[in-house]
Amino acid sequence: MSTAPQPGADDKRELLRHIVATLAYRGGKAVSSPPPHFKDFRVAAGSRTPGEILAHIGDLLDWALSIATGKQIWNDSTPLPWKDEVARFFAALKAFDSYLASDEPLAAPPESMFQGPIADALTHVGQITMLRRIAGGPIRGENYFKAEIEAGRVGADQSSRRTEFD
Amino acid sequence: MTTEVKRALLGHFLAALAYRTQKALRDAPADFGSFRATDGVRSPAELVRHMTSVLGYARTHFIGGHYWPEALSTFDEEIVRFHDMLGTLAQHLRNGDALLDGMTEERLLQGPFSDAMTHAGQLALLRRLAGAPVPPENFIVAEIRPDRLGRDQAEPVSPDKVWPEAPEDWRA
Repeated sequence: MSTAPQPGADDKRELLRHIVATLAYRGGKAVSSPPPHFKDFRVAAGSRTPGEILAHIGDLLDWALSIATGKQIWNDSTPLPWKDEVARFFAALKAFDSYLASDEPLAAPPESMFQGPIADALTHVGQITMLRRIAGGPIRGENYFKAEIEAGRVGADQSSRRTEFD
Repeated sequence: MTTEVKRALLGHFLAALAYRTQKALRDAPADFGSFRATDGVRSPAELVRHMTSVLGYARTHFIGGHYWPEALSTFDEEIVRFHDMLGTLAQHLRNGDALLDGMTEERLLQGPFSDAMTHAGQLALLRRLAGAPVPPENFIVAEIRPDRLGRDQAEPVSPDKVWPEAPEDWRA
């Protein structure tokens, strides 16, 4: 993949940072205060547990960073305790976002990041959300249009000013 | 950030949504649209209608008004309407149409576009629960193009050769 800067590359990186922040906001909500034993809730044979899905999201974000740096590597991790896996999720987001915010070259087109690991991670956040409902601990609906999401805000400390509904 | 660049990337995101939604629907069982995992969880047909609804809501920020799609009589019709909405929304982006009421590209992305992507993931989960899971692939090399937003999506370029959760009759 070429590392030569393309026209508008910085603009694309900024929008990529915004979707990373969106993932932090939405993912953070999906994993916060889960019902008891949610980590190991297996809804059907062959289906991933929430703990396995969250570990996979962490792997996707690690993969995204490796793609960005031009040293692509994939690793299937073993799920950690829920609290630790949540911490890993935010740490991986932070590492990826920090690279995007730097002056280091992006070794893959932002389009590839969008369609690959970022879209993947979003789909898995949706799955955790659905599993919460099935497990009896749904999260509240929200108008995410109005959410206070901003590039660089990728930690657990997300805005509490939310437009939620039941 | 230039609007043109942002909108091109949003258009690519919609194309990825079209691709992933079709992947979750392709070769689904005939009765998949009405599959109900449990009480309180949307069926695939309801999910696709909701995806159309959130994208239609996004469109109101170009044209004004409200959008609330009524349920259609068949799952197939819901899928057609979803892809039509994708195409219409993408055309607003390509046209450079103005966003109303201070709406921004970033808010479109964080709101309805991301919403719809999370629901595409839920469709894939429901496939698994319906006993017809979707094979994994490396999406980063998938043939995803901003001008390809309909049902006719490409086959995977790089399907996974190993699928630990594969059904017994699966062959790579």
